[in-house]
Amino acid sequence: MAGVKGPGTIEVTGLRKVFHQTGTGEPVVALDRLDFTVAQGDMVAIVGQTGCGKSTFLNILIGLDRPTEGRVTVGGRTPYDDFDDFRGSLAAVFQQDRLLPWRTAIDNVRLPLELLGHQPDEQLLRARAWLERLGLARFERAYPHELSGGMRQRVALARAFVIEPTLLLADEAFGHLDEVTAAALRQTFVELAKTEGNTAILVTHQLEEAIDMGGRVLVFGRPGRLLADIDVRAWPATTVAGLRAEIQRMLQDNTGDARFTPPAKERA
Amino acid sequence: MKKDEAIASETVEALEARTPFRFPREMLVGLLGLAAAWQILSLFVPPFIVPGWERIGKSLLTLPLDFVLITLARVAVALVVSFALGLGLAMMMYASTAAERYGRPLVRLLMAVPVVCWILFAVLWFKWVEFRIAFVLVVVCAPVFLVDILDAMRGVSRDLRDMLRSFRPTRAQVFTKLVLPATLPAMLTSWKINLSLAIRVVTIAELVGAVTGIGYGLVVAQELFSVAEVFAWTLILVVLLFAAEAVLTRVEERLLRWRV
Repeated sequence: MAGVKGPGTIEVTGLRKVFHQTGTGEPVVALDRLDFTVAQGDMVAIVGQTGCGKSTFLNILIGLDRPTEGRVTVGGRTPYDDFDDFRGSLAAVFQQDRLLPWRTAIDNVRLPLELLGHQPDEQLLRARAWLERLGLARFERAYPHELSGGMRQRVALARAFVIEPTLLLADEAFGHLDEVTAAALRQTFVELAKTEGNTAILVTHQLEEAIDMGGRVLVFGRPGRLLADIDVRAWPATTVAGLRAEIQRMLQDNTGDARFTPPAKERA
Repeated sequence: MKKDEAIASETVEALEARTPFRFPREMLVGLLGLAAAWQILSLFVPPFIVPGWERIGKSLLTLPLDFVLITLARVAVALVVSFALGLGLAMMMYASTAAERYGRPLVRLLMAVPVVCWILFAVLWFKWVEFRIAFVLVVVCAPVFLVDILDAMRGVSRDLRDMLRSFRPTRAQVFTKLVLPATLPAMLTSWKINLSLAIRVVTIAELVGAVTGIGYGLVVAQELFSVAEVFAWTLILVVLLFAAEAVLTRVEERLLRWRV
């Protein structure tokens, strides 16, 4: 699975994250020696059960948390140590929309552009264009509480895409929505990421969602280790049902499968 | 998607159609009822205990109303200073854990001192009357602003903080784009609390040494044993408080229109 190297290339080497329980100080392993690479412009879904370290991994990738051991680099830089270097090149969509309630839809979308110091006219122009692209042109002056859950999440998507990031991250971004809305948003996310050429990582606990993304699927087991690295594109459509069953079995047994997990160097 | 839009469109229209002002019928009926009961009571009780409305009205016409403006000016200046001080210190304590660790107990100490003690300290420490009054008001109101604002700053959602951090803001941007707007509701509530506190405290502070203001007017009325005048001043104080609260509520509605 060697791919194009570029500013959106993610390299994960021997990544380990250990938390210590409050009070007892007992160590809890959240991520255990992860090794994989994501090529520039690739689309990867990380799937796993609750508590398998998916969100911890994403927090490290965003730069909100630092690894206990090992290393994560994006385009050769580490998101935690080189935090400010990622200004304007990384955007995330979270489980809840996380819109600022005191800002209208358009003001939420232009927020990252304000932070990056763009001119107000340009901010408005770009934010408006993205709202329009996501079918929210009529609602640019609406406050978050005046919008439905699906619409709020679309505003959050617009906010992420508006800075044209190199790396786009989504943490259970569609899991709390109804199935129809989630599927529509997922499709929008995939299409936009492909069109814009972003490296995209979608973290989910829903297997269907991971496979529907149609890219690479990294299966995480407990505690935070890689069970399988599967390229769904290499699977003929007729065999996807079988693949789903295999992944389901791996998740249940919490064990990997040699067929799906090539050696580390090959993956890189 | 269309269903979403339809729902939200209804919501937006409903909010736009919302009446901006609601006549406070219940409050008015209650106050008129109380006024009527007062008038009836005044028919059976001597006027030096419960004066009727005509006596209170006559007193109102004779009161030096510039005293009202002076008291209002004292309250306004002291509240602005207290707010600036409270906000500044809250920001400092928010930025530095050490500053908060040292500062919090001191603030709690200040808040534990009764108002009367502050008034006595002011009389003992300062000569200039205006400064005495301002000192008492600021020392009482600033800690309330500080604690309210600091608690609100500490309570800013971690989710929103992480969202903003993912875009790599500067420290100043975290403050201006997230912390301050998120703290605004608490600031406005604190203004309301401090407003009523300041109006009550200023009257007591004016009792000591001042030769102007509502507090001084009350002292004079008491010395002249003019109960109607005491009631007239009290009425002015209550009306002032109601009016100021109404103004603040309108400001709050305007600034916090984003709230559900």
